[in-house]
Amino acid sequence: MIIGLLMLGGGAAAGVFGSLLGLGGGVLIVPLLTLGFGLPLRDAVGVSLVCVIMTSSAAAGVYLERHVANLRLGMTLELFTALGALVGGSVAFVLDERLISLLFAGMLLYVAVTMARAGSVPPSAASELDVAPVDEEPAPPNMLDRLSGDGYRVRNPGRGVFGATGAGVISALLGVGGGIVKVPLMHLAMGVPLRVATATSNMMIGITAAASAVIYLIHGGIDPYVAGPTAIGVFLGASVGSRVSHRVDLRFLRLLFVIVLGYTALQMLLRVVG
Amino acid sequence: MTTRRAIASFAAERQIGRLLILFTYVSVTLLVVGVLLLLAAGISPIDGGPPLDLSTLFSEVVAFGPAGFLWLGLLAVIVTPISRVVLAAIAFGRAGDWSMVWIAFAILAIIATGVATAAAGTV
Repeated sequence: MIIGLLMLGGGAAAGVFGSLLGLGGGVLIVPLLTLGFGLPLRDAVGVSLVCVIMTSSAAAGVYLERHVANLRLGMTLELFTALGALVGGSVAFVLDERLISLLFAGMLLYVAVTMARAGSVPPSAASELDVAPVDEEPAPPNMLDRLSGDGYRVRNPGRGVFGATGAGVISALLGVGGGIVKVPLMHLAMGVPLRVATATSNMMIGITAAASAVIYLIHGGIDPYVAGPTAIGVFLGASVGSRVSHRVDLRFLRLLFVIVLGYTALQMLLRVVG
Repeated sequence: MTTRRAIASFAAERQIGRLLILFTYVSVTLLVVGVLLLLAAGISPIDGGPPLDLSTLFSEVVAFGPAGFLWLGLLAVIVTPISRVVLAAIAFGRAGDWSMVWIAFAILAIIATGVATAAAGTV
């Protein structure tokens, strides 16, 4: 019973942190389950995918209802994230766990460095302020025009396809949502305003993770006894995090998170060596 | 985008958003029941749960077994974003936006391929 409650609490902590920092819980759930509870890495990735879908569906529901997410663009890119997830999910059961651990540690370090460089602007504030410039040229009547939204026009579809496929592979291999790839991809490379990119990425995460979660499910890579308490914890944590985000000093939290990520990456690397 | 398509897309987004929220709460409810039954039974999660068996799922739920509710909740979680794509395909089809319908079908085909290849690999 105590272990079940600890998993619930750990999932809640991952959900709060993830929600406050706009990362989703996946980055923390895999280390929590492998380092904290001794689960095999692939099982932890399977559970993490379930948690990622849950938080994504809840957030995407709100974003779609408020018309913040771009459904057409999201679904078009989902075609490629799902393809990447199909490849990643299949490869995950062939690759050596140590290699996946190494990739995970590399991703944690990348996220830690990105967050350390992000400065003191909270993600929520950035979402409101940092809007990509609108292309002044008249829009040609093509698919890109139809994928665009109010006040912006989508560009660089080739980069979008390439990046979305890569995000799908990463998501399936490491059990994360892949927002760390999709948001900069849509915002910086494709000209989508940050707020729309964040919401659309959140919506896409669900189908990306679902495409690989079914593969993990069939391979027996999802344990219901672990996934249940962890997913409930993450859902509760994310709900609390979204409500208290305006009261928390994000600079301190970001610093703490960078330290936690760095330490976790080191532990994952030690697992590879050990 | 034509006005008709824009209006249809706007309405579809609201309906799909509501469906996602509803499905999420259904999933959470099933998982909460499963976790409470798990804790009440004194089962440690790290002992490992039973694999998914669709033939016994219903009887497990009727018998108030934790694994039944947990698997049902987990399946609901995974099905939620997939059902969003199905609903979007229907909405886009009604609006005559066939390119988006094909995209939705292609996404579903990729997921079906994943299921088929994974199932073939485990046989």
